[in-house]
Amino acid sequence: MDQGNPMNVPATRKDLMIVNMGPHHPSMHGVLRLIVTLDGEDVIDCEPILGYLHRGMEKIAENRTIIQYLPYVTRWDYLATMFTEAITVNGPELLGNIQVPKRAGYIRIIMLELSRIASHLLWLGPFMADIGAQTPFFYIFRERELVYDLFEAATGMRMMHNFFRIGGVASDLPHGWIDKCLDFCDYFLTGVTEYQKLITRNPIFLERVEGVGIVGTEEAKNWGLSGPMLRASGVQWDLRKVDHYECYDEFDWEIQWQKEGDSLARYLVRIGEMMESIKIIQQALEGIPGGPYENLEIRRFDRERDSEWNDFEYRFISKKTSPTFELPKQELYVRVEAPKGELGIFLIGDQSGFPWRWKIRPPGFINLQILPELVKRMKLADIMTILGSIDIIMGEVDR
Amino acid sequence: MQGRLSAWLVKHGLVHRFLGFDYQGIETLQIKPEDWHSIAVILYVYGYNYLRSQCAYDVAPGGLLASVYHLTRIEYDIDQPEEVCIKVFAPRKNPRIPSVFWVWKSADFQERESYDMLGIFYDNHPRLKRILMPESWIGWPLRKDYIVPNFYEIQDAH
Repeated sequence: MDQGNPMNVPATRKDLMIVNMGPHHPSMHGVLRLIVTLDGEDVIDCEPILGYLHRGMEKIAENRTIIQYLPYVTRWDYLATMFTEAITVNGPELLGNIQVPKRAGYIRIIMLELSRIASHLLWLGPFMADIGAQTPFFYIFRERELVYDLFEAATGMRMMHNFFRIGGVASDLPHGWIDKCLDFCDYFLTGVTEYQKLITRNPIFLERVEGVGIVGTEEAKNWGLSGPMLRASGVQWDLRKVDHYECYDEFDWEIQWQKEGDSLARYLVRIGEMMESIKIIQQALEGIPGGPYENLEIRRFDRERDSEWNDFEYRFISKKTSPTFELPKQELYVRVEAPKGELGIFLIGDQSGFPWRWKIRPPGFINLQILPELVKRMKLADIMTILGSIDIIMGEVDR
Repeated sequence: MQGRLSAWLVKHGLVHRFLGFDYQGIETLQIKPEDWHSIAVILYVYGYNYLRSQCAYDVAPGGLLASVYHLTRIEYDIDQPEEVCIKVFAPRKNPRIPSVFWVWKSADFQERESYDMLGIFYDNHPRLKRILMPESWIGWPLRKDYIVPNFYEIQDAH
């Protein structure tokens, strides 16, 4: 039609379009604002703007004891809540050299791996929904409801369980929970094969996802990525094997990793991690020892025996605070392998119940830094694929 | 007792101070802000290729501000990968520390967050602006001498 006629070339070709993919999203990544500069369909630049969910978690932590702070931590990564609780409790345990009983360690591992499965499931749903496949969204919630039921039976809450304590867990597993959990594991393996059949060899999915958002090995290390993003780029770095924490060494499992570094590799790593988690849960359930579930010794604090505030004259003055775990004047960096990456706490203790500095190293925040680099030269539709495959959750990105 | 990295730095005549080991046995070094950009490159060349986390805190109300870097070398199949913790102290009046974004890109958002929360200016950072607080916020929230503003919307919320 107008092949070479210069009069019909649109005059505004050279202007770039700036689009605001605002804080309200139809997909479940949370409140993330992306200002995207487009040239037609190609993305020139993208700037993420964070802070819409900033709640001041780090400042709040400076005025709460550990037990008081535990309900806050599940609100960082609200899909994999056990990890946030585990790390809040691991810090003081390391500082106080507190031994966790074996049974408590096994219960923690089972809860952590169930939480990892739940988090990867709820990553998969919105990822597929962004690409356009609405059905897996319902399938994952079917499995996630079963995980919620298990959590509710053991901890009392479906999502924001206040389950971990310094020295163990808050209460023991109810009668029959182990059998229910084994049934869940068997059922879940059929569920994962269902996803494999539906998704993994689907040509539409592969077209959308293969070769999109490639992160090289050295680039991944330099950008400080962690978790499935790092392992999908060929780096076999899994903190469960590197740090030897809890009792992960007693189980037989493999690190899932891929070499390509594109979104398909990240998808395969996460699906593989779900299967490995089931293996770990089954081994833990079979080998769970008896014994106490909490180290109650740490509840005995060496305070002075006869404080003057417990005297006769002071009994009606005010409510006396209960003795709490005192953090020594040391600093510590603890980390766990959360499903999104390396979740870390840099804890500086003051000789008091409150920490002096509680810095949360959120995996989503650091993995999100690479987004502007990855979306350059991609099409507009690939932004959602890449953003979905990074697996962020704004609760921990913004804290 | 000196840590391994500290001994190596002494051997090469680089100015630093050894601050001891933290509770897990990770050696902690203090570097001066003037030397930090060159020592960062030296550490990268030495092998620490993974900046795990960068945070900042203030040492005492009215005292110095510290910027902390946890570095690791990613290696496979070994028991304890090498880690080091570097602290750079800056005065409270004019806290300026060279940015290590050009050495480890992982410092991008993290330095912005330290700037946002504590007010430490990182020289040569490509986009140093507030990240978690709104752009028009005044004050550095995580400092110990921060006064929470008492404006109308916050009063209304209670």
